Amino acid sequence: MKAVILDGIILGLGFGLLGVGMTLVYGLGGVLNLAYGEFAVLAAIVVAQAISGGMPTVLAAVLGILAAATAGVLLDLSLMRPVYRQSTGHRVLLGLMLTLGLAFVIEGVLTWRDPLGGLTISIGGKPISILGVPIAVGSVWAALITLAVGVVLLVFFAATTFGRGVRSVIQDELGARLVGISPSLVRTVIFGLSGALAGLVAVTQSMTSPLTVSGGFNLTVYALIVSVVGGLGSVAGAFLAGILLGIVDDVSARYIGSYISDIVLLGAAALTILVRPRGLFGS
Amino acid sequence: MLLEVSTLAAGYLGQTVVQGVNLEVSPGEVVAIIGSNGAGKTTLMRAIAGLLRPMAGRVSLAGRDMTRWPAHRVAGAGVAYVPAERHLFPAMTVKTNLVLGAYPHRPQREALELVFEIFPALKPRLQQRAGTLSGGQQQMVAVGRALVAQPRLLMLDEPSTGLAPKLAKDAFEALGSLKGRGMTLLVAEQQVPLALSVADRGYVLENGRITLEGTPHELDRNPEVRRAYLGVA
Amino acid sequence: MTGGRLPARLGNLVPVARGRAFLPILAAGVLVLVVPQVWFADSEYTTSLAVQALAFAGYAVGFNLIFGTTNQLFLCVGALAGIGAYGTGILSNHASLPIWVGIVAGTIVAAAVGGLMSWVAVRRSLGVIFTGVLTLAFSFAFQDLLFGQQHLTGGSTGQTLTAAAASLADNQIGGYYLFGAVVIGFLIIFRLLQISHFGWAFRALRDDELAAELAGVNVARYRICAAVIGSAMIGLTGGLYAYSEGFISPPTFAFDQVDVTVLVLVAFGGLGTLLGPLIAAVVFAFVDNALVNSGQLRELIYGAIIVVIFLGFRRGVPQTLGAIVRRFIPHDKVGTRWRLPLSVRQRERS
Ligand SMILES: Nc1ncnc2c1ncn2[C@@H]1O[C@H](COP(=O)(O)OP(=O)(O)OP(=O)(O)O)[C@@H](O)[C@H]1O
Ligand SMILES: [Mg+2]
Repeated sequence: MKAVILDGIILGLGFGLLGVGMTLVYGLGGVLNLAYGEFAVLAAIVVAQAISGGMPTVLAAVLGILAAATAGVLLDLSLMRPVYRQSTGHRVLLGLMLTLGLAFVIEGVLTWRDPLGGLTISIGGKPISILGVPIAVGSVWAALITLAVGVVLLVFFAATTFGRGVRSVIQDELGARLVGISPSLVRTVIFGLSGALAGLVAVTQSMTSPLTVSGGFNLTVYALIVSVVGGLGSVAGAFLAGILLGIVDDVSARYIGSYISDIVLLGAAALTILVRPRGLFGS
Repeated sequence: MLLEVSTLAAGYLGQTVVQGVNLEVSPGEVVAIIGSNGAGKTTLMRAIAGLLRPMAGRVSLAGRDMTRWPAHRVAGAGVAYVPAERHLFPAMTVKTNLVLGAYPHRPQREALELVFEIFPALKPRLQQRAGTLSGGQQQMVAVGRALVAQPRLLMLDEPSTGLAPKLAKDAFEALGSLKGRGMTLLVAEQQVPLALSVADRGYVLENGRITLEGTPHELDRNPEVRRAYLGVA
Repeated sequence: MTGGRLPARLGNLVPVARGRAFLPILAAGVLVLVVPQVWFADSEYTTSLAVQALAFAGYAVGFNLIFGTTNQLFLCVGALAGIGAYGTGILSNHASLPIWVGIVAGTIVAAAVGGLMSWVAVRRSLGVIFTGVLTLAFSFAFQDLLFGQQHLTGGSTGQTLTAAAASLADNQIGGYYLFGAVVIGFLIIFRLLQISHFGWAFRALRDDELAAELAGVNVARYRICAAVIGSAMIGLTGGLYAYSEGFISPPTFAFDQVDVTVLVLVAFGGLGTLLGPLIAAVVFAFVDNALVNSGQLRELIYGAIIVVIFLGFRRGVPQTLGAIVRRFIPHDKVGTRWRLPLSVRQRERS
């Protein structure tokens, strides 16, 4: 049981980070980025290519994350411009459709160029014992990186001027403009951050299990579930929801059956929407 | 001249609401815009603040043209606008709301001290979420947030909205004490006696046009104003 | 029908004489009937493409009824079709019931599931986003279920419908006429709804939901009705598809196979229009055929089409092209012969 929960927490940290990138973009103007998971796949392919081209793994990972961040910024500067010109009601639909289209374009391009592409980063070494539970070195690294980035993000949004600026746009865009914050600049930065997070998740995930070209939309769906359960727009909520869902996923996979665990996650999202649309941890 | 508005026209979806507006505010002056419901006071303020793109005319601050600037740039140049709906950040504490007023800088100590001097009621509530404050307290935070920016011009839209008569009076007294410290104010207000109590000059806006301009004394004596706004037959 | 009497202002919105309202459907019906005679009846390959196109037209009309007219983003068309198809397959394979029992049962279950989701969405007043996420979650859960319940569904290998009509599977032209009749039937239902009470309510609801509610339109009831009828259409099409193909497997009803295509079709044809989905299904049968050897490029091109349509042709491609044509032809010459479909003209007015 202890092992299952520990595994679940490690899985959930990744979910949380994934959810943060989705939830922030939604909070800043009502767009659910359905191409989000494809950014992760894009990063994975870039990293894989760079490594096979002889680049050191760490450098390749940075390159991949930068590539995904660039994709995020480009998305904001191109397709998102007409979206944010719409009033809120029309925005939602246009944002969904354009990012869905983009998801298929990216997936199409990647599978066309590199149909068998994917990323596995294997880190050797004997499993490390944590609380008496042996855990693979790759998982430990992935969890530590995720935890560190998570803490940095939470501090960034709670205590820095720009971080507070981002939250102010989420809470009241007009109010933010009145204190001198440019929502469109904030959005561009956050789209970049969101891409970078997708890229980072690609890297950490590939330390425990391979990430393939076709896995993008699944990542998007996980990110959606996490951000909905955590409360759309809430960074801390996404992390908590991620960890909770990670544990739920691992427990149900271990004790009920592996295909059930996905259904349980989807059911959790549906239930949250119905019972607490603002999310478990939303205000 | 600190603020200079000339032949300004603004409106929504191609429909003009205010037009041909000429208006000036000198440094240290308190100017009131009075007019009945739907006259276009809010529209005019929004156009000056950059929330609404003017259709024609010019807005300049200390001689610098800022007609087509977006709102955040206008704010950065030293014009703080407090809309009637306040637009606070409801899930953040009063303190964070105030701190954000100085964005992108850290708030100056004197600025915060000024806020607590004018609105002492805020001091014990610094850790309370803005969304849980009463309407009057929210109004104080909104004005306080604008003050923290140490603006060159403070624009207020209907500071008396939603306040009981006593509180509305307090609010205008606070504006009076700001005036005493040399703050430049542009206030839109329907409650004409209140507005004229602090103003150095006033403009009357009717159907989107300025129809009268003068000192409170002149406006007070004007038969039109007396009939339309002061309820005097 | 107690939807609250509709105010006169809404009543005025029905401009087309009732008889004329069905002319486009009649024309489409004649085309569906005639085309195989003059063109492809002898080629099994083309016929199966045509069947495919009509099946997607069926899904698209159902989705159009739910989303295009009442603004409920159902991202579970594939799952609803799968309910119809697997209902048919499971009942005929495992319970040895006649195939039509399976089709009817599958349709009813799909209608019930769609209605339930709509009811929940209405009750909890979920907006487009939450309705979309909820139904998307259902789509993915349904796929997992298909893979997981191997003893019933055959898992990833799929299942063969032992009782499927050999005549339909071998001689696809029978399937073609079957789907042709179904799609025409759907269009008639769609049109009937448009010119009835429902039509007024639908339009009012699309234009301005709050105003519709204030005008006494029972928004919730119309939403749920549209979802039930549309889901039944999708489920029926799915069941018939299983019947005519004789084989079903999970990818046939996956989100990226069905829902994305249906979105493209409805967006291309024009949201809420009568013939849009059918026209789009025909156009895309050709596009698909042209792309058949380009493998993954198909996905890329579909994605690009979605982006382009939503950026530039939000009213639907035929409508936008029509509007461009009309700009170049003097108005009096166009006259009344170039009437656009009912709902489009309505939207142009507002
Ligand atoms: N967002 C908008 N879209 C369209 N028209 C608007 C909008 N906001 C205001 N108007 C119209 O502009 C006119 C002027 O409105 P405005 O809010 O500027 O008046 P006001 O003088 O501030 O009135 P009040 O004292 O009631 O606040 C009104 O006729 C109003 O209907
Ligand atoms: Mg006003």
